[in-house]
Amino acid sequence: MTRLRNLLLTLLLAASSAPDFAAAQEVSQQRIVSGLGKLVEAAPLIDIAILRQEAIEGGGVAMASLPNWGKIAKLPQMVVEIDFENDSVMIKPESYRTLGLLADALHHPNLWAYKFLIVGHSSSTGSDKHNLELSERRAVAITEILSTTFAVAPERLYAIGVGEYFPIDGSKGDSASNRRVQLVNLGVFTTP
Amino acid sequence: MKTRNTIATALFIGLALAGATRAETLSYADAVTRLAQDCGGDIKKLCHGLNLGNGRVADCLQKNAAKISPVCVGSITTVLTSISQREQAQAAYANVCKHDVAQLCSSVKGDGYRLACLIKAEKRVGKPCNQAITDAGWR
Repeated sequence: MTRLRNLLLTLLLAASSAPDFAAAQEVSQQRIVSGLGKLVEAAPLIDIAILRQEAIEGGGVAMASLPNWGKIAKLPQMVVEIDFENDSVMIKPESYRTLGLLADALHHPNLWAYKFLIVGHSSSTGSDKHNLELSERRAVAITEILSTTFAVAPERLYAIGVGEYFPIDGSKGDSASNRRVQLVNLGVFTTP
Repeated sequence: MKTRNTIATALFIGLALAGATRAETLSYADAVTRLAQDCGGDIKKLCHGLNLGNGRVADCLQKNAAKISPVCVGSITTVLTSISQREQAQAAYANVCKHDVAQLCSSVKGDGYRLACLIKAEKRVGKPCNQAITDAGWR
């Protein structure tokens, strides 16, 4: 039942309104850097627990219509895709390059001051609870890879899974575009 | 004859060393692409279920060194060396380029804009700083 095959990685980072889902496959370091470097105002304060609760309770509606997710939706953003093994947190070697591109972008002076939220999504195949957990574990796996293999400071990275609660309008719940992970620019990182 | 050979050898070694130190650093993306290409099959076969994070894939490949393909073995070394060279260049950038920033881009605020300023002023920027920017993969 849990045939969650692929997961996509979405980068939500600049002040553009709609995520760039169409051109998700081919991204370059330059595109990520310029897309993510366009934060024009101070980013809102984000509470991961509140976001998680809001996703579960507000499930199925557009992200932008929820109070806290609405703030996230306004932040700079772009989309990339990451392929995982079936029902697993293992990322296929075919998607290593995409992880590397993210890492290169996060190491660029234009972006190195910012912190990021990585949001895992899933298809609607399988139970809500399982999808929520798997999407969160996948988001955590990505932050772990970025912060260890690719030496991005772990303090700059936050992970959250929202399962199948935010399907893309007009597409089926099990389509590839609904198995995503997003990366959101949360604004300037300051040491506590 | 003997002398010429020695000179030739010395030259060759010199060139080889210069080549080794001036080799272009790889981006993370290019480095792991190479890893995926050369080791992808071995990873899927021998390290199934493991991720790159916390050195799990690297440890697994090392543990299975006897079983993995020679191409993959060579690739791991190249990838690790190149990544560490790039990390060093990025870490050294601020210090290496300090004087160039002070002289050419002191009025520019923000790391990203300062870098853009240095890149634009490439011809007047000192060689070490230019090299650091190139090795850091920011050009």
